[in-house]
Amino acid sequence: MKKLLVLGLLSGLLVLSVQAYAHSPLMSCFDNGDGTVTCEGGFSDGSSAAGVSMIVKGPDGNALMEGKMNQDSEYTFDKPEGAYTVVFDAGEGHGVVIDGANIVE
Amino acid sequence: MSSSLLVALAGQPNCGKSTVFNMLTGARQHVANYPGVTVEKKTGFFSLGDMRVELVDLPGTYSLTSYSLEERVARDFLLNDNPGVVIDVADASNLKRNLYLTIQLLEMEVPTVVALNMMDVATRRGQSVDIAKLEQLLSVPVVPTVAKKGEGKEAVRIAVEHAHAEKTVAPFVVDYGPLESRIDEISAMLAGDPTLGAQYPVRWLAVKLLENDHEAEVLLRRVHSAPQGVLDAVVLARAGFLEGEGRDIERHIAYARHAAAGRIAREVVAVEEGRGRSLSDRADRFICHRFLGPVILVLILLALYQVSIVFGGWLAAEVWPLWGGIETFVSDMLPAAGFAEDPLVRSLGEWVVKSMTAILNYLPIFLLLFAFIAAMEDSGYMPRMAFILDRLFRRFGLHGQSTLPMILGGVYVGGCAIPGVMATKAIPDERARLATILIVPMMNCLAKVPLYLILIDAYFPQMGGLAMFFIATVTLFMALPVAKALSLTILRKKEQAPFIMEMPPYHVPTMGGVARRSIERTWLFVKKIITVVAAVAVVIFVLINFPGLSDTRRAHYAAEEKAAIDAFMVEVDKTEYKGVITHDDVLGIILFDEALRQAKVGVTDQAVSDTINERFDTANPVYSAVVRRQGDSGRTLNRELRKVVSVRKQLRREMRTERFEGSFLGVVGRAIEPVTQYAGFNWRINIALLSAFAAKENSAATLGAIYGIDGSGQSVEESMKQEEAGFTPLHALALMLFMALYPPCIPTSIMVRHQSNSTKWMMFSIGYQSLLGLLVATLVFTGGSMLALSGFQAMWAFYALCVAVTVVMAMIPSREEARAASEDGKEPCKENCS
Amino acid sequence: MTLDEMKPGTLCVMVDLHTAGPLGQRLMDLGFCPGANIEVVRNAPLVDPVVLHLDGYNVSIRHDEARYVEVERQ
Repeated sequence: MKKLLVLGLLSGLLVLSVQAYAHSPLMSCFDNGDGTVTCEGGFSDGSSAAGVSMIVKGPDGNALMEGKMNQDSEYTFDKPEGAYTVVFDAGEGHGVVIDGANIVE
Repeated sequence: MSSSLLVALAGQPNCGKSTVFNMLTGARQHVANYPGVTVEKKTGFFSLGDMRVELVDLPGTYSLTSYSLEERVARDFLLNDNPGVVIDVADASNLKRNLYLTIQLLEMEVPTVVALNMMDVATRRGQSVDIAKLEQLLSVPVVPTVAKKGEGKEAVRIAVEHAHAEKTVAPFVVDYGPLESRIDEISAMLAGDPTLGAQYPVRWLAVKLLENDHEAEVLLRRVHSAPQGVLDAVVLARAGFLEGEGRDIERHIAYARHAAAGRIAREVVAVEEGRGRSLSDRADRFICHRFLGPVILVLILLALYQVSIVFGGWLAAEVWPLWGGIETFVSDMLPAAGFAEDPLVRSLGEWVVKSMTAILNYLPIFLLLFAFIAAMEDSGYMPRMAFILDRLFRRFGLHGQSTLPMILGGVYVGGCAIPGVMATKAIPDERARLATILIVPMMNCLAKVPLYLILIDAYFPQMGGLAMFFIATVTLFMALPVAKALSLTILRKKEQAPFIMEMPPYHVPTMGGVARRSIERTWLFVKKIITVVAAVAVVIFVLINFPGLSDTRRAHYAAEEKAAIDAFMVEVDKTEYKGVITHDDVLGIILFDEALRQAKVGVTDQAVSDTINERFDTANPVYSAVVRRQGDSGRTLNRELRKVVSVRKQLRREMRTERFEGSFLGVVGRAIEPVTQYAGFNWRINIALLSAFAAKENSAATLGAIYGIDGSGQSVEESMKQEEAGFTPLHALALMLFMALYPPCIPTSIMVRHQSNSTKWMMFSIGYQSLLGLLVATLVFTGGSMLALSGFQAMWAFYALCVAVTVVMAMIPSREEARAASEDGKEPCKENCS
Repeated sequence: MTLDEMKPGTLCVMVDLHTAGPLGQRLMDLGFCPGANIEVVRNAPLVDPVVLHLDGYNVSIRHDEARYVEVERQ
C-alpha cells in the first residue's frame, strides 16, 4: 500500500502544478480602421484555433465582450472606448494576452 | 598533417572519463551512434606534433565480457578498429575496482596509457598512490590527472606519443594458477593458425574461449581454419577444470583478476586511517531516506517539470517568431497562392516546412530538458532516483529509471511523448526500456488536451473537473497494466539486466559540461528528426490530398469563385476604379492585404506601422486604397472585399474537407466504420482521428472542420451536438479514451523507431495502441450501452476496473520471479541459472 | 547466510557466489568475490533494493540478486 501512497503523492503534487502546453498559442490583432479590431489566432503547429474562447477586458479586468474564434480562426469586435486587453483563452491559463494599446492601425 | 593516429578512451563508469575526453579534445568533437546500436559514440580530435589524433570515447564499462551491449561495443572496437593506443582512465580514489578493467585491457595487448584521474578526490579521502610503483607493476605509463581542472593534459599527450612511438607492448600476465596449463594448451592450438596468430592476441583469446565467451567463439569461427577442434578442446578443458577445482572457469578467472587488482592496489595505495564518513554518505542519509527520499524526489521532478515544460513552453512561445519567420520566408519563395486552390509546389512546400517548424518549436524545451538531465546525471542523482522507485515500477515490468520518461510524457496532464521516449535511453534493462518506450505515448501529452476540453465542455459540463481528473489519472492505470502485460508476453524474451547499480559520490555539475551535453544531444535530435519528418510529411501529404477533387466538383467551386469575384466587380464598376481594377486584380488585392497583415504582425508602435503603411501605399496605390479603406470608394470596396475574402476562406475550407474525405486516408476512415461503430465512432470521427496521427492537435481542428462552425459564435461542441443527434456522453467518453490510448503522433513514432532502433517496434507501437484504444472504446461504448449506464456512470465503472486490473497485474509474478519462487528460495545454482 | 537476510548496519564477509551467467558475471565485475568486506548501508524507501558498501564504493542491488551472495556476519 505504501507504493500507492507514493503514487498518490506524486500525482497529487502534479495536479497542483501549473498546466503547460508545448505547442505555443499565437495571436495577432489588427485595427481595421473602421472602429473594429480583428484578431487572428492559431497554434505554432499549425492547428486551427476555431472555437477558442476570446475575451475583451476593460481596464478593471471585467469582460466587455466574450466570444469564440470563428472557423477561420478570426474574431472581430467593435473597438471599445478607452483601454482594453484581448485575451485568447485556449484553456487552463494557456493563452495570449494583447494590450489594446499595442494594437495599431 | 603527415599522419594520423586512432586512440581509444576506455574506463569504468563514474571515473571522469568524459571530463578527460573534453580536456584532451576541447570543442573539436562530434557525437553519433555506434553502427547498428543506440550506444552513443563520441569522437574528438587533437594534434600531437604533426600527427592528427582521433580520439574515440568507448562506453563506460566495468569489465570486457560480452554480456552487455556496451561491453560488446567497447570490445569490438578494440579488436576490430585496431586503435594505436588506448588511454585507460582509472579513478584514483577507487583504484582496486578500476584496475580490474585495466588488467583486462592489458591482457588484450594494446599499447596502453593509464590516466589516473580524480587524484584530488583520492587526496581528500586520505589516499596516496605510488605512481612509480604502479608503472612498474603494470609496465605501462601511468599519468596522474585532475581532468576537471585540466591538470595532466600535457603529460597524457606525451605519454600517448611515446606509447605510439615504442609500439612494443610488454604483456601483462595475470597468473591464473591451476588454469595456466589449459591456457597454454589452447594458446598453442590457436597459434598454429597463421592468420589468427598474427591478427589477435592469442593468450587473450584462449582465456576468453575458456571463459565460455560467446563473442570469442564467433570470432574464432570466423578467423580460424579449423575452429571445431579448438572448441572441442575448450569444452573438454572446461569440464576437466570444473571437476578438478570444483568451480567453473569464468569464476576462477574473475577471482584471479580481482586478486591481481587487489594485490597491486595494496602495494601502491596508502590510506590514512581514521577518516569519517564522506559528505556523500551523509547526504545519502537524507536523499535516500525512507520518508524524506520520496519527498525530495517529488520536489526535484516538480522542478524539472516546471523548468522544462512550463518555463520551456514560455520560452518556446518567445522564440516562435523565428520559426514563423522561416515559414513566411519559405512561403514568399514559393509560387504565389491562388484564389481557391494553390499550386501543388506551394501547398506541399508549406506543409513540409510547417511540419518541421512544429517540431523546432520544441527546441527550447529540449535544451532545458537535456540540461536538467545532464545535471542530474553528473551530480549522481539518477541512480538514487532509480533506487527509490525501482520496487514500485518493477512490479509492472518497468525499471526505477522509467520515472523520468513517464513524467515527461505527462503522467498527469501536459507533457510531450517525444522527450519522454528520448529519456528512456538511460534505462539499462532492455526489457524495461522497451516497455517504457511503448507506454510513454499513452501518457497525457498536451496535444490531447484540446479534444478532452471540447468533449468535456459539451458532454460533461456539470462534472467538468471530475471528468478531467478521470482522464488525467486513468491513463496511468491503463499504462501500468499494459506495461506488465507486454513484459509478460511480447517482451518476455528480451534481455533483462540485473539492477546492479553503482551509487557514485555526488559531484557538483559544471555549467560547461551540462551546456555542452545539452547542446550535443539537442543537435543530434534535430539532425535525426528533421530529415525523417520531412520525408514522412511528404507521404502524409499525399495520403490526405490525393486523388483529389473530381472535375465536376472543381467546376462547381470555380463557379462559386467566379460568382464572388463578379459580385465584387459589380461594386467596383460603380466607383471611380471602374476599368482600373479588373477581374484579374482581385486575387492580387487579397494577397496584398495578406502581405500587409503579415508585415504588421508583432508591430505595436504606431510610427512603425505608419512606415509600413506608407511602403504599401507606394508599392500599389490602387490596391492600398482598397485594403486601407482610403476614400469613400475605398471604404465601400473594402467592405465588399471582406465578403470575397470570407467566401475564399470558406471555399478553401470546403475543398480541403472534401479533398480529405475523398483522399486515401478518408477512404480508409469510411471503410473501417463497420468496426468502429461498436466504439461509437462514425466515419467522420474516424477521419478526424486518422488525421490526428499526423499531429494530435489536428483532431480538434479536424472535428471543427467536419462539423463546421459558421462564425456565428457557435462552437464545435454546439454544432457537434446538433449534427450528431444521438451522440451521447457515452460516445464522448469512448472517444476520449480512444484518444488517450491513440497511437503516438508521427514525431513520437519516429522517436520510438530511433530509440528502439527498429522499424518493427515502431509499427508495433502504432498497431497495438490503435487496437487497444479501439478495444477500450468498444468495451466502454458497447458495454455501457448494454448495461444502460450513463456516461458518468460508465466513466467511474471503467475507472474502478482499471484500478482493479492494475492491482491484479502488480501481483502477478514475472517469469523470473515465478522461477525463483519455484526454486525453493535458496537452492544453490550450478551453472547458467541466473 | 545470504546477503539478503542481512539488516542495514551489518558488516559481513563474502563467502561464495551462487549464480553464473550475466548476473554472476556482473556481480564479480563489481567486486563481489570471496573475502570481500560488505557493509549493508540502507534499504530503499520501499525496502527493495539495498545499498551496500564494498571495496570503497557504494552499490545498490535488489534483494532477489543479493540472495545469491553467501556471506558470514563479522
